[in-house]
Amino acid sequence: MKDKLFPVQEIGSLPKAPWLLNYLRGRDVGPSGLDHLSKWSKVSGFENESETRTILAEPKNAVKQARLRELASIFAIRYLESAGLDYIYDGEENRIEMYEHPVRNSGGFEFYGHVRSFDSRYYRKAACVSKVAFRQAYHLDEFLLIKQHAKRRVKVPITGPYTIAEWSFNEYYQKQRAADYTDFRKLKFEAKRDFVLDVAKQIIQPNLKALVDAGAEWIQVDEPALTTKPDEVPFFVDAYNECTAGISSKLSVHICFSDYRLLYPHILNLKNCSQLALEFANRDDEKRSAYNQLKLLNEFGDNREVGLGVADVHVDKIESPELIQDRIEYASKILGDPARIYVNPDCGLRTRSWDVAYAKLTNIVKGAERARHSLS
Amino acid sequence: MVEVHLSGVFPRSEKLIDATREAVRGNLPQAEVDMVLRQDIESLVGLQEESDLDALVDGQLNWQDLFRPFNQLLTGIDLGSLTRWFDNNTFYRKPIVVGKVSLKSNEIEPYFRSDLLPKVSRKKAILPGPFTFAHLSENRAYSSFSDLVDDLARALQRVVAALQGRGYEYFQFNEPSICAPGRTQPELEIAKHAYETCAHGIGGKSIIQIYFGDASQVIETLLDFPVDSIGIDFYATSVDSLKEYDFNKILGCGCVDGRNSLLESPKELKTFVSRARESLEPLDIYLTPNCDLEFLPETVAEKKVRLLGETKRLVI
Repeated sequence: MKDKLFPVQEIGSLPKAPWLLNYLRGRDVGPSGLDHLSKWSKVSGFENESETRTILAEPKNAVKQARLRELASIFAIRYLESAGLDYIYDGEENRIEMYEHPVRNSGGFEFYGHVRSFDSRYYRKAACVSKVAFRQAYHLDEFLLIKQHAKRRVKVPITGPYTIAEWSFNEYYQKQRAADYTDFRKLKFEAKRDFVLDVAKQIIQPNLKALVDAGAEWIQVDEPALTTKPDEVPFFVDAYNECTAGISSKLSVHICFSDYRLLYPHILNLKNCSQLALEFANRDDEKRSAYNQLKLLNEFGDNREVGLGVADVHVDKIESPELIQDRIEYASKILGDPARIYVNPDCGLRTRSWDVAYAKLTNIVKGAERARHSLS
Repeated sequence: MVEVHLSGVFPRSEKLIDATREAVRGNLPQAEVDMVLRQDIESLVGLQEESDLDALVDGQLNWQDLFRPFNQLLTGIDLGSLTRWFDNNTFYRKPIVVGKVSLKSNEIEPYFRSDLLPKVSRKKAILPGPFTFAHLSENRAYSSFSDLVDDLARALQRVVAALQGRGYEYFQFNEPSICAPGRTQPELEIAKHAYETCAHGIGGKSIIQIYFGDASQVIETLLDFPVDSIGIDFYATSVDSLKEYDFNKILGCGCVDGRNSLLESPKELKTFVSRARESLEPLDIYLTPNCDLEFLPETVAEKKVRLLGETKRLVI
C-alpha cells in the first residue's frame, strides 16, 4: 500500500465551507461566501464551481440541497488533493460533527439538551435510553461519493465505540444491571463496559462491514476520549477487537490530546490495528520533547505504523517545512524505522480557517518531501 | 430528617445558553445576558424552595469554571490554556500564578448572588478548595507548593469572611484533587494545614467536598481536617471502603449522580442513605449530588433537584 516514505494523510475534519453553511441555515451566501468558493475553486481545480454558483443563486429545495452537499464534499476533496496529501477524505463536510452524526443515525439515543464544554461553548449530549441499534450505514453514501471522485487514496474516518459511549449518558445499560446500593461505582463501571461493547457490536461493526463491502481500503477509528478514564482503556480494546474481527481492510486508530502512557500495555492487545495516529505538535518544544513519547512504543515492543502529528491544529502559526522535517527526522531516529511513519496534522483542522489549514497542509507536504529527500 | 443541599455549579437554561452564545458573537449586549442570568437564578431559587432544600445556592451560573472568578478577585493569577477538567469532556482555564496571591477586592457580589437569595433562607457558598486551586494551577511565582496553598487559603478565608457578612452560613470547599490518584501523605498534610486557615473561625458550617475520585485512599487523614462535613462522591467511592473509619463528621452523601441523566429513584436512594448511615455512623447526613449538576442538561438537573426533595421526605 505504501510506496514512498512519509506519506501525508488527512486525519480529521475541515471547517465547513461558509457558502454551504449559509445555504443550509437559509442565510444569504453573500459576497464573502462566493469569494471563498471562487478562490478555492481556482486553487484546487474544483470542476463544479459553476454548478455550485447556480444552486446557490436559486431558491432552496431538497434536491438542490442534496446536490450542494455532494458538491461541498467534492470541493473539499480537491482542496486536500491540491494541498498534496496522499490519503484523503472530504474533511467530513457533511457530518454534523464526529459525535452527533453517528448518534443521530443510530438507535437507542435521545438528546435532552446542551451541556457546557467550556466558557460559553456547549455541545448536545445524548442519553442512551434503550439498547443501541444499527439503523443505517451512516457513512456509506458519503464514502461512495468520495470513492467516485477522489484522485488520491481514500481513508475513511469513523468515530469509535469508546468515544461514542463516553460522550453519552448511560441510562439503559445501567438500568439493566441489578443495582448494588452499596457500590454505585462498581455498577457504573460495569454498565459502561456493557455500553461500549454493545456500541461496538451493534453500531460500529455493521458500519465497518458496509464500508469494506463498498470497497473501503483503509478505515481510521477515531477515539479522542480514549484515555479520559484510564481504568476503562481495556473496554476499548475488547470493543475494538469485537467490531473489527473479520474486517479485511487496513485499520488504524487516531488518539489525541491524551496521556499515551495510559494506553499501555492494554493497546498491545488490539488485534487488527496497523497504525496509531497520534497528536504531538500541540505539546512540542524546541527540544522535540513531545516526540520522546514515541519511546513508549519501543519500550513495549509496539511495531505498528505511526501517524505522526506534526502540525498543531489549535494555533494559526504555520509550521515551516524545516520544522516539520525536523520533527519527522527526530521521530524516525526514535523509532529506528522511517518506513513506519505517516505524517499528518495533530487532529482535524476544523477550528482553523481554510487559509490557515491549507498553509499547514502544504507545509506538511513540503516538510515530508524534505525529510524523504534527506533520508533517501 | 436529613438536610439537602446542592453541591456545585448548576447548568444554564437553553435560553441562557443562547444568550451567552449570542454575546460571544457580539450580537447581544451584556446587559441582556445579565437579565436572562437573573431569571435563571430566580428560577433555580424557586426550584430549591419548592423541593424543600435546606440551604440555597445561586447556582454559580456566571462562573466560567471553578477558578475563573478568582482571576478577578485575587492578585497574582493570570489565565492559562484550556485544560481537561478531570475525567470529563469539560475544560477549564488553567490559572497561572504569576505573583503573590491575596484578595484584592471585596467586590464579590458578581459571583456570589446573595441579593437573589431570599433574605430568610439559609445560604450556601461554594468555593474552590485551596489545595485543588494550587494543584491545578501552573505555579510560576512560588518557590514552594505549600506556600502557594497557604496564601490561597488566606485569600479564601477573607472571601469567607466577606460572605459571612452577607449572611452565608454554609461554606463548601471543592477539593477534587485531594482524592485524585497518587496523593501523598505530605500533600495531605499541606491541605490540612490550609484548612486550619481557610476554615478557621467560620461561624457556620464548613464542608470539604471531594469528588471524581476514591475517598477511601485519603479518608483517614481527611477525618482530621478542621471542617464540619466531608462530602463524598459515592459514584467514585464504595461505602464499604470507608467502614473501618470513625466518621466523626457530618457526611455529605453524594448519591445523586451529576454525571448521568439516569434518574435515581427516591426509594433506592433511601436504601442507600440508610446503609451509609448504618455503616459509617456519621454525626449527621447532608444529602447532595455527588458533584456539580452542570454536566447535565438543565431539564435533567431540575429533575434531580426534585428527586433530592422527594428523597428527603422518605429519609427519617
